[in-house]
This record gives sequence, C-alpha cells and structure tokens, in this order.
Amino acid sequence: MVYITSWDEFVDRSVQLFRADPESTRYVMKYRHCDGKLVLKVTDNKECLKFKTDQAQDAKKMEKLNNVFFTLMSRGPEADPAEVTGKDQMDAQPTKKGRGRKQ
Amino acid sequence: MVLLQPDPFLNELTSMFEKSTEKGSVWVTFKRSSLKSKVQRNKMKTAGEEIEYRCLIRATFGNKTISTSVGPKEHQRFQSSYATVLKAHMTALKKRDRKEKKKAAEADKKGGAKKPKRV
Repeated sequence: MVYITSWDEFVDRSVQLFRADPESTRYVMKYRHCDGKLVLKVTDNKECLKFKTDQAQDAKKMEKLNNVFFTLMSRGPEADPAEVTGKDQMDAQPTKKGRGRKQ
Repeated sequence: MVLLQPDPFLNELTSMFEKSTEKGSVWVTFKRSSLKSKVQRNKMKTAGEEIEYRCLIRATFGNKTISTSVGPKEHQRFQSSYATVLKAHMTALKKRDRKEKKKAAEADKKGGAKKPKRV
C-alpha cells in the first residue's frame, strides 16, 4: 500500500472508510521515537490507508483526527465530529453576539 | 491483554513512551467495539436488544499490550488527556522545515477529485 501524501485526502478517505464499515475499521498510529517517525493507518481489512510523517506539525493535525475517531467510535458513525473537535468549536463561538444585551 | 480503566491506561501509555525512546515503536489502535463476543451479539440481536458500542483503545510496545475503552460520555475527557500524553512524548518529530513545501506540491497531484470536507 502506498502512503497517501495529502493530509486532507487521508482524513477524508479514512472517515469515509469508517462510515462505510464502522465495525471492522480500525485506526492505528505507530510512533517510533528513535527514528522520529509517525505512521497512521486506517483499514477495514480490505482497503488500507496510510500516512507517514516526521513533522511535528502533522502531530497537531493528528490530534484533530484522533478526536474525530474518538467521537465517531464512541458515539457512533452518525455523530458529527465537527461539533466536538475543541478548536473548531472555539472558532465557531463568535456567533454568540448579542451577549449581555437582554432587554 | 489487560483491560484497564482510562487513567491507569494513560499512565501505562506514558511509561511505554518513556521506554521507547531508545528503540522500538509504540502502537495505538482505536476500534469501535461492543466488547462482546459474536455469539453474545447474535443473541442480543435476536432478542431485539440494543448493542452498545464503545471505543476500544489498545496500545502495544514490544510484547506488552494494554487496552481500555471509552464510552460516549467519557471520550471527550479521555481525548484531551490522551492528547496531552502524546504532546509530551512525541518530541522526536521535526519542526517545520523546507521539506514541507515539497510535500504540499506532491499532495496536489492526488486529492483533486474529492471535495475536502473540513472537520
């Protein structure tokens, strides 16, 4: 299996894969400190998606993906990960404009 | 395989990361699971019972495997502690450098077909 080079593509396809077969899809991360390498894998035993990196910034992106999978796996494939991924939620907060202007 | 509570699991995971600094890899797997056998699941299905799923998390380092599971109520708390553990130990990764530009260029030739859905 070839590594996917684009992060966005990896995220999209792995979420799709999970939604298609929630019960047999797993998400694996391998971290190798001595080589400074991080490999992420999502597979449903038929298709396998992998992403490899040695960049610290990708670890931050991975954190978001972790949250997505935690949400999808514990709440079910119907759950909307966008509503719980901490940061995005914060960005979306400013909709609360009329604060303190009650009557 | 030892099924731990989330907090002892995170402690064990931390020590795995500490041990792995010289050699070896740490593996962490997430899977959606009902923690029940197929027989049990089939029984529940025929009885019309709802099957409860949780997120099963396994970690492996060398020949040691630990696991825990989080349900819909605890996952947010667990994910933030998990992120903290990762952040503290994934220190061997490189900071930003020029390679990333090359990566971005390579990325363009794939992912064009799908509409990126931001999460």
